[in-house]
Amino acid sequence: MEKSLKISEGNNSSQKMQVFQRLLPYIGIVVVVLLFGILTDFRSLTFRNIRLIIEQSCVLFICATGVFFIMTMGGLDFSQGSIIGVASIAVAYFAQYNFLLAVISGMFVGLFIGAINGILHVKFKIGSFIVTICTMFIFRGVCAFLTTAKPMSAPIFMYSFNKWYYLISAAVLVLVLGAFFFSMTSFGRKLKAIGAGETAARFSGVKVAKIKFLVFMLAGILTGFAATINTIRVGSITASSGTLLETNIMISLVLGGMPVSGGAKNRFSSVLVGVLLFAILNNGLVMLQINPNVQQLIRGLVFLVIVVANTDRDAVLIIK
Amino acid sequence: MSTSKENVMTDNNEVLRAANICKSFGVTKACKDISFSLSKGEIHGLIGENGSGKSTFASMLCGVYRKDSGTFYLDENEYEAHTQVEANEKGVSIIVQELGTLNGLTVAQNIFLGKEDEFTKYGILSQKKLNDTVNKILNRYGFDFINAATMIDNYDYETRKLVEIVKATHFDPKIVVVDETTTALSQDGRDILYKQIKKIKEEGNTVVFISHDLEEVLEMTDRISVFRDGVYVDTVISSESSEDDLKLLMVGREIDKKYYRTDYGESINEEVVLKTRDLSVKDKIFNIDLEVCKGEILGIGGLSDCGMHDLAKALFGAAYDASGEVFIANGNKINSIPEAIKNNIAYTSKDRDNESVILNSSIKDNICLLSLEHLRNRIVVSKRKENEFAKKFSEQMSVKMQNVNQFVSGLSGGNKQKVVLARWLGKDSDILILDSPTRGIDIKVKADIYSLMDELRKRGKTIIMISEEILELIGMCDRILILKNGKISREFLRNEELAEHDLIHAMI
Repeated sequence: MEKSLKISEGNNSSQKMQVFQRLLPYIGIVVVVLLFGILTDFRSLTFRNIRLIIEQSCVLFICATGVFFIMTMGGLDFSQGSIIGVASIAVAYFAQYNFLLAVISGMFVGLFIGAINGILHVKFKIGSFIVTICTMFIFRGVCAFLTTAKPMSAPIFMYSFNKWYYLISAAVLVLVLGAFFFSMTSFGRKLKAIGAGETAARFSGVKVAKIKFLVFMLAGILTGFAATINTIRVGSITASSGTLLETNIMISLVLGGMPVSGGAKNRFSSVLVGVLLFAILNNGLVMLQINPNVQQLIRGLVFLVIVVANTDRDAVLIIK
Repeated sequence: MSTSKENVMTDNNEVLRAANICKSFGVTKACKDISFSLSKGEIHGLIGENGSGKSTFASMLCGVYRKDSGTFYLDENEYEAHTQVEANEKGVSIIVQELGTLNGLTVAQNIFLGKEDEFTKYGILSQKKLNDTVNKILNRYGFDFINAATMIDNYDYETRKLVEIVKATHFDPKIVVVDETTTALSQDGRDILYKQIKKIKEEGNTVVFISHDLEEVLEMTDRISVFRDGVYVDTVISSESSEDDLKLLMVGREIDKKYYRTDYGESINEEVVLKTRDLSVKDKIFNIDLEVCKGEILGIGGLSDCGMHDLAKALFGAAYDASGEVFIANGNKINSIPEAIKNNIAYTSKDRDNESVILNSSIKDNICLLSLEHLRNRIVVSKRKENEFAKKFSEQMSVKMQNVNQFVSGLSGGNKQKVVLARWLGKDSDILILDSPTRGIDIKVKADIYSLMDELRKRGKTIIMISEEILELIGMCDRILILKNGKISREFLRNEELAEHDLIHAMI
C-alpha cells in the first residue's frame, strides 16, 4: 500500500513538470504582455498596437508553418530567408503583369528551391542542416545579383492590398490548414513518426523519402506565398530582404515549446504561440525605445531562459 | 535450494555490499531498496525477468547511471562512481548487453578510452606506445587475430564483443559485470568468455553474470541472486538449485513447463501463400527459392551470419540491394515495404528498438501508425477510434503499461515486443515474418508469444520465424530451413525425434 502511494506521488511530480512545460509558452505570453503593458502605461495593449503586432507577424506565421513540418521530421531549414528574398523579387517583377501571376510566381520559386533542398537531402543523403545552409548562400547570392543595379520595386497597385484584413486572413488560412493537416490527418502522424524514429517509420510502411521531399517543397511553397505579403508590405526588394527570417522562425518555434529534435511531442500550437510571443517581445522592445543593440541582447537572454526551462532533461541523454 | 541471506550478512569475504539502493526513471521505479552482497572469488548470477531491474542495478554499480539513494560498500569502504572510467579506476567494470565499442576509433583507442593519460607525454598521445601495449594485451588473451591499430568498424559484431571483454578485464578489476553478453555470441565466442570468467574467479576477483539463459547461469555461477519487479528476492547457491526453483523465484508462481507446441503429425495445407524465385541480397544470400504454405510455421535457422536476417528483410521488401522475386498467392510481387504491408505481410525485426517500434513515441501512436487508413473518416483520423484501437490491441497482448499514452521507451524488452505484435495484430496480417521474436525476452512473455503463434497458426495465418535458438525452432515449427553461407542447406519437417545436433550439423 505504502509502495503504491509512493509510485503515484512520483507520477504526480513528473506529470506536474510536464504540465508546466506545456503551459510555459502561454505563461510566457501572459508575462510578456503584462510586463510591457505596465512599462508602457498600457499603450502596448491598444487595439491598434495588437493589430499591428499580428499584421507584422503574418509572414512569420506562414513561413513557420512550413518549417514546423520540417522540424517535426527532425530536419532543419536555414534557406527560408533566401527563399523569401528571391520569391519576393519574382513577385515584384510579375506583379507588373498580373497580381495572380505574381502570387503564383512567388510560390513557384519557393517550390523550386524547396525541391532542390528536398532532392539534395533525400537523394544525395546530405543532412538538411548542411543542404539548407548551402542553398541559403546560393539564393542569397541570386537575390543580391538580381538587385545589384537597383532594388526591385513592386508596382504601386500592390500597396492597395496592404490592408490588415487581407494579410491576416491569408495567415489565418494557412494556419488553419496547417493545424488541420497536422492534427487531424494521417499526414501529421506520419511526420511525427519520422521525427521520432525514421528507421522504424520506414519499417512501418511510411514512405519516408517521398514525404520528406514533399514537406521540403511544401515549406518552400508556403514561404513563396508569404513572399507576396512581404512584397505588399515592403514595396521594394533589396539584397538583404528576408535576412534572418530563418533564425526568427526557429526562435519562434522554440519559444512556442517545440523540441528541436522533432518527434512525437510536437503540437501545432507551437507555431501560433511561438510567433506571437516573439512578435510581442519585439514590439515591446521597440515601444520602450530600447537601443537596437541592447534589444538583441535581451532577445537572446529571453530565448535562453525559455529554452532552459523548456528542455526535458530526463529524456535527453546525449546532446549533439 | 537453501537461502544464504543470513550468512551473507556475516560474510567477511565480501567484496561488495549494496545497501538500500533505489533508482527511478521518471515514473518507473527500476530498483527498489536493493540490498545484498557479493563475495570475493565468486561468479555471482543475477537473474530476473525483463524489467526486473538487474541491468539498472549493474549500470549503477558501474557508473553508467547514478543511484537515487542507498550506498555501495566496496571492500568495506563507501563506493560511488560517476563515470565508467571512475568505476574502472576503483576496480569495477562492465561488459554491456548492447554494443559497447565506438565506431571511428581503433581497437586500442576503444580499449583505453578515457584512460589515454598513461600514453600521453607533453599533451601528445603516443599512438605507437598505445598500440604496442594493446597488442601485447591482446596476445596475452590469445586474440592474435585482432590488431590494435585497426579501426573497430572493420571487425564483426563478435570480434567487437571480444574487444569489449579485453577492455573490461585487462586491468585486473575486482568486480566484472557481464550483462547478457552471451546472447550475442556464437559458441566459440561464449567459450572464450567462459574461460575469461573462470580466470577472473581464479585470480580471486568477482564476476557478476547476468543472463536469461538459466541453464547457462546454473552451470557457470556459484551463487545466484534473483530480482523481481525491481525488488531483490533472494540469493541461492547454484549447485543446490534447479531451473524450476529459479523460475519460481523469478516469476513468483509456477510456470507451465510445456510452452512449445505439443502437436505432431498435423498435415500442412498445400496452398502456397508466399513464394520466392532467385531471391538474392548482395553478398548476403544467394538465389533462394522457397515456398510457404497457408497456416504453417516455417522456421529459418542457421548461424547468426548465415543470411537469415537478410532473407527476412528481403521477404518484406526491406532489403537494400536485393534481386529476384517475392510473390504472394494472388501473383502480386513484393518490392517495397509499403507493398508488403498492403499485401498483409507483417515483419518484426531482430533490432527491435530501431526497426520494430518507434521508441520516442506513445504506445498508441505505435499501434495506430500501421492502421491509420482504417481509423479515419474520409481524411480525418478519429482520435476516439485511435484510442479504442490502441487499447483493444494492447490489452489483447496484455502489455504492462499505465495507459496507451505512455512512451514505448520506458517499457521493458518483453513489453516492447508485445507492442510490436499488437501493431501487426491490429493490422490483421496474414503472413507474419518474425525475426528472433523472443530475443532477450523472459520466460513468461516468451510463453505468451509461443501460444499466440500457435493460435495464429490455427486461425490460418502463416508464420515465418527466423531464430537463433534451435530449441525454439524445433519446438514451434512445422518445417525448418537451415541456411548456410546464404544458401538453403537443408530442410527438416516437424518431428518428435528431431534433435538439436541434427540442425547444428546442417548449419556448420
